[in-house]
Amino acid sequence: MDSDCLSLLPAVCLVLADPKQSPPDDTSLEKLLDWFKELHSQSDGQVLLQHQPCLLEFISSVCMSKTTDPAILSFTLKLTGLLAATTQELHLFDEGGLLVYVFEREAWGVCDLWEDASVRSGWLQGLLNMLKHQQALGFMCGNGLIKVILQLQNDRSLFVACLANQLLVHILNFLTSSNMTNGSDVVGSSESSLRPDWVAASSEIMNAVVEALSSEDHPQVLQGLRLLSLVLSKCGEPIISTLWKDVLVPLEVLVNRGSESLIQTLITVLEAALGTPLLSQSEYKVEELLEAMLGDGNRKECFHCAALIVKLEKCPEVLKRKATDIILLPLQCVSTQPQAEKEINVVLKEQLSQKASCISLLMQSLSSLAQLAHTKYLFEDISIHSITSSVLLLLRMCSGHCPTSLLHSNAFTHLIGCCKVQRCGLDTLGALSVYEEILDLRKDIFGVLLDYLQSPDSHATVLKKTFQAVKRWIVCSPFPDLLQFISHDLFPVLEKRMCDLRWEVRDSTLEFITQLTTALNGNSGFTEALHISGMVSVLLSSLADAEGYVRASAVAAVGEAVTASSHQMVLVSNSKLLDEALVQMMAILSQDTEGFPRRAVVQAFTSWLKGSHLITALELSLSSVLSLGGSDFDWEVKMHTLELAEVLMEKTLTCCPYAVQNFGSSEETRFTQALIKFKNFGLFDLLFNSLFDCDRPVCEKACALLVKLRTLTAETADLDNSLLVLNVCGNRWGDEVQRRYLNKQQAKASVSVTNGVTGSDEGTDCGLHSTKDISLPKILQILDLDDMQRMLTLSSDHVVNSPRSLMEDILSAAQHSEENIVDCY
Amino acid sequence: MKLYCLSGHPTLPCNVLKFKSTTIMLDCGLDTTAALYFLPLPLVHSPRLSKLPGWVSKDGAVNLEKELKECSGRVFVDSQPEFCLPEKELLDLSTIDVILISNYHCMMALPYITEHTGFTGTVYATEPTLQIGRLLMEELVTFMERVPKAQAATCWKNKEIQRLLPGPLKDAVDVWSWRKCYSVQEVNSALSKVQLVGYSQKELFGAVQVTPLSSGYSLGSSNWIIQSHYEKVSYVSGSSLLTTHPQPMEQSSLKNSDVLILTGLTQIPTANPDGMLGEFCSNLAMTIRAGGNVLVPCYSSGVIYDLLECLYQFMDSANLGSTPFYFISPVANSSLEFSQIFAEWLCQNKQSKVYLPEPPFPHAELIQTNKLKHYPSIHGDFSSEFRQPCVVFTGHPSLRFGDVVHFMELWGKSSLNTIIFTEPDFSYLDALAPYQPLAMKCVYCPIDTRLNFHQVSKLLKDIQPLHVVCPEPYTQPPPAQPHRSDLMLELQPPPMAYRRCSVLGLPFRRRYERIHLLPELARSLVPSEIKAGVSVATVSAVLQSKDNKHVLQPVPKPAPVPPSKKRKRVTEEPPEVLNPKPLLSGAVPLEPFLAMLHKNGITEVKVEETADGHILHLQTEDVLIQLEEDATHIICDNNEPLRKPGSELLRG
Repeated sequence: MDSDCLSLLPAVCLVLADPKQSPPDDTSLEKLLDWFKELHSQSDGQVLLQHQPCLLEFISSVCMSKTTDPAILSFTLKLTGLLAATTQELHLFDEGGLLVYVFEREAWGVCDLWEDASVRSGWLQGLLNMLKHQQALGFMCGNGLIKVILQLQNDRSLFVACLANQLLVHILNFLTSSNMTNGSDVVGSSESSLRPDWVAASSEIMNAVVEALSSEDHPQVLQGLRLLSLVLSKCGEPIISTLWKDVLVPLEVLVNRGSESLIQTLITVLEAALGTPLLSQSEYKVEELLEAMLGDGNRKECFHCAALIVKLEKCPEVLKRKATDIILLPLQCVSTQPQAEKEINVVLKEQLSQKASCISLLMQSLSSLAQLAHTKYLFEDISIHSITSSVLLLLRMCSGHCPTSLLHSNAFTHLIGCCKVQRCGLDTLGALSVYEEILDLRKDIFGVLLDYLQSPDSHATVLKKTFQAVKRWIVCSPFPDLLQFISHDLFPVLEKRMCDLRWEVRDSTLEFITQLTTALNGNSGFTEALHISGMVSVLLSSLADAEGYVRASAVAAVGEAVTASSHQMVLVSNSKLLDEALVQMMAILSQDTEGFPRRAVVQAFTSWLKGSHLITALELSLSSVLSLGGSDFDWEVKMHTLELAEVLMEKTLTCCPYAVQNFGSSEETRFTQALIKFKNFGLFDLLFNSLFDCDRPVCEKACALLVKLRTLTAETADLDNSLLVLNVCGNRWGDEVQRRYLNKQQAKASVSVTNGVTGSDEGTDCGLHSTKDISLPKILQILDLDDMQRMLTLSSDHVVNSPRSLMEDILSAAQHSEENIVDCY
Repeated sequence: MKLYCLSGHPTLPCNVLKFKSTTIMLDCGLDTTAALYFLPLPLVHSPRLSKLPGWVSKDGAVNLEKELKECSGRVFVDSQPEFCLPEKELLDLSTIDVILISNYHCMMALPYITEHTGFTGTVYATEPTLQIGRLLMEELVTFMERVPKAQAATCWKNKEIQRLLPGPLKDAVDVWSWRKCYSVQEVNSALSKVQLVGYSQKELFGAVQVTPLSSGYSLGSSNWIIQSHYEKVSYVSGSSLLTTHPQPMEQSSLKNSDVLILTGLTQIPTANPDGMLGEFCSNLAMTIRAGGNVLVPCYSSGVIYDLLECLYQFMDSANLGSTPFYFISPVANSSLEFSQIFAEWLCQNKQSKVYLPEPPFPHAELIQTNKLKHYPSIHGDFSSEFRQPCVVFTGHPSLRFGDVVHFMELWGKSSLNTIIFTEPDFSYLDALAPYQPLAMKCVYCPIDTRLNFHQVSKLLKDIQPLHVVCPEPYTQPPPAQPHRSDLMLELQPPPMAYRRCSVLGLPFRRRYERIHLLPELARSLVPSEIKAGVSVATVSAVLQSKDNKHVLQPVPKPAPVPPSKKRKRVTEEPPEVLNPKPLLSGAVPLEPFLAMLHKNGITEVKVEETADGHILHLQTEDVLIQLEEDATHIICDNNEPLRKPGSELLRG
């Protein structure tokens, strides 16, 4: 295919270089570049430029043209860089002095084009593409390009500035990498082994960083910090320590100044520094700087800073403790009784009295706490007990319960009904469930959570978070009164929430019940409570909800509830419930107008089947599910049906619960019996129909399953084919199989005729002449499954997306525009 | 200007404003909570209620067996329920010129005020207020008259006896002012005094102009603006900013008020109407799904329209489409029909439906599809068509009279049934007291759409009245939640609080009055310019004040004297044009005045600052000069030689 494309290349180059043509869109140009990149990587030392002289002509004509479009110039710059990525090619360019010409903007036909950000970006990208070998670096240093790159670092276009930073880091990295050092020096060698002009280049870059950090210009400082953090995370020694020594002083100044807008970037720099060997050397003051950022917790920005430090992965313990103390201050301050009041600083007080800052501070405090809980952080100065009590108190305050004496009545009024803090607080409360020390607070915790579930004013999203927290606390460690709590406190609330006006609430309630049932699977008491309390019948009535999503969640919940009871005595007394559930679920699968509930039904069957317990009542419905699911309009329902089929196959073939177990029968017989069972379930119809489905993923899945079957049938030598004959008439897949069957027969016949052999003895093995019924193994043979699978794995747009079609598009667009011009006259 | 507060109930106000010699009553609410002290009036003979033991004091000294009955540990009065009227003794009600009604809930005491008090004024109300108010009054009368009681209990009210009764009867206040319900004749007579007004329509009487503004709370509900040329009083009664069925609240016209009288805020500030509506629906669905019945004690107009609309959508989605709703009230039919015809009083959304044409409320469709059925009472058709499980809407929310009493007796014993309280006027625990023990589930979802404290403080920030007058409970957090400082009015200057029988002098300074000049007098004026753009003229005239209108008339000519030549000549001479003498006006600037005194040899002056200005003590002369904003006094102990130069200096 590439040779096809290469033949089109000269024409494409002509079109692209033609200033009269409007340039193709950016995506086409990017795709073209991708193709070049791929071509280049596959070239195996063959030099593209030598074989395609049109490229050099194209590049020079674009640069010289006085009417070049910026998009084309940008493309050309990137392409040049790509093509000059090997020394050999670079020499080819250099021979005509073309390379200097391309990257020297004063030499261009139109100097003004530099004003266009896409051109500057292309220029940088070109250099980045080229920087694969020493000569490229030499070219940049020799032509003073480093200076331009440093200028571009403060470009008004963020993309350009970012790219410049990347390029600078790449250069620094390249300078220290092993292929750059003279002789046998390895990484870590000193700069002295570098060529002098490169030493100059690296110090030029580093000086620029120092200069930027000392600048009064805010954007310049930001860019400097960004470059610094990039260097720290991407480069190795000795660059890092050399640079750090130089920037330490201006960095200290910045940190002590404590400008709010720089905090995030400063922290990124320090975070990057934490990941380097700088941390272990005290003279580099990394820890000291981070500590300085925190201050004494009496600056407005220290909370933000503390929140960021808490999130750091590699953070010195002392520092983390300090940050933790600071970030917990707002939470403690709002929810502490006056007598326990530590001296609270004025800044915090002021921040808490304003609504916006109060809420954001508390949210930072809560989410940092949750973050710490995720790692099961060990608190030292303050007990997890009192922290949890604070969170509980805060949550109570949010729902309008006021503690008897309060420190910040202002903060209290800001908090009433504040969903943001409620959600965040509930998340944190859930996260705190990892601490076993606070298990004795469980009563209070469940009290608050129940209050939230009961409150008529709880927002739908708050309820969802409450459910998550309840689940975490129930699951974390079962307690003696758990069942009592569930059936007396939780279930009545859930029942009411399932009748909520808002479908989102009904939906998340059902989801919660499903999760709870899954989590407590095996807890016989829970299953019993679920049935005795009448929850299952409430779930069943939710199957008729007006909202499709809710019906889907109800299906899942009913599915779980039924499986949960499978090994219980309860089920026997509630077999009616199971029957009713099956009837309703089948009705949903066959009649529901929305896809979600239907998908859920098939998924429920899959999970039933996956379960370890055999539910005989389900077996009767399986064939209906397979046929209804396979003929659904929704491709996802079909996919789920195929997954069901897969599970059925796995289960049957491994333990054969559905086959008649004849002790002593051979493996082969059992396999045949399993296949007969599949046939009776309509599994083959499903697979073959899906194989010719209009949705590619469906076909792919069906094909994979059939391939699996084919392997198994091939492995089983004495398969009784006569028992596995399928009717191939009257359906789409049958017609296809017949067509292929006839084609093969004809081909064989013609081969036989040419070979002078009659084909009479060919059909004796399994009745080849009869095209109405064909055995399964034969069908699997007739269908060229491997070829089908290969075709199906290609993405559906693989034809349209090829480089050839891209080039043809570019050419035909040019042709059309010419025609249009002709039309005008 | 004075405000007489005849009711202390914040949502059932009755205040009288004396403003510019007019006496205006603002609303006429009837506090029906007194009915809770009485036994329910059963529509059908109730063996349970009839067998209740009478009350005898423990020592047997007081025996009120016939008047008081004991029921589950509480004592109730066995008599026709009575209501607590607005205070009648605070001022002579016959002097009231006009009564302004804000909504149909706030007019239930009207017959008590307009009948038998010598009232001769006019009542202003919007049409829906009048019509629905009439329905509510008629319903109340029917509820009472359907179950007549032979005698009225009065002995228990005796102070000495009441003191011995168990609580809460012991603590009931003003029991002697409680009255039985009025009659239909009294209702008709009272309502015949109503004159209909529309929103923003201006009614003038005397010097005061009154304007009703939409308040967004119920059909035809209004706030009122009472203003003269230079003063503006706003009266905000039950108002709502929620989008329910009535026209939205008009806020901008309330701006720049000197005084804003604020009543009728939500009674349950912690209950958010949306949340309560959700609670209502989910409890209803839960009960119906479990095969129980739902009883909703409610007024026959108001929130019931919104409930029906909400249920109209909810029942199908909850898969309860076939459950019947019954609305039982003597005025059920009229209430449902009236709501559909007052299109111009509805919110825009509902108004536009009328042009389609469609009925504005979906309950029409519920009736058409037989999902909602309405009956005047449980007798008659209802008993034959009644099907369970069902939802019944019926009154009265106090559970003391009306058809609801029957359903309480009928359904109270089963835990499958639920009673859902949606009206916020009564404590549900008190309402349920005579039905104990009760197996039926009780749910309290008070839906009060009136302004909450958050909304009202935002509103006040917008409209910025100079002074706010409100019922006392609004100035402190609810007694049950003393820390909720967000549930009270915090204003600067602090609001003036009133309680029952308060008389407030409103902080109003009448600074200006508009005076008309008769044309002939105006013609005689000779203005002379004292500085660019400002001219003054002296005028001699007679000021006539009548009906709050002030007119300057020419001084009546002296009785005609027989003409003499000499005189005639004199009168024909053109009047002499003189520059006006400097007149005293405005405040005396202190510094220049001191300088002036100094110049005139008065050097020893002690200046003292007061609330209104300054006091100057001329020590040598022993003279006091009081300088105030609108008055200057020279106190010089009849030292005439000193007084004259003093006033000359002032004129300076």
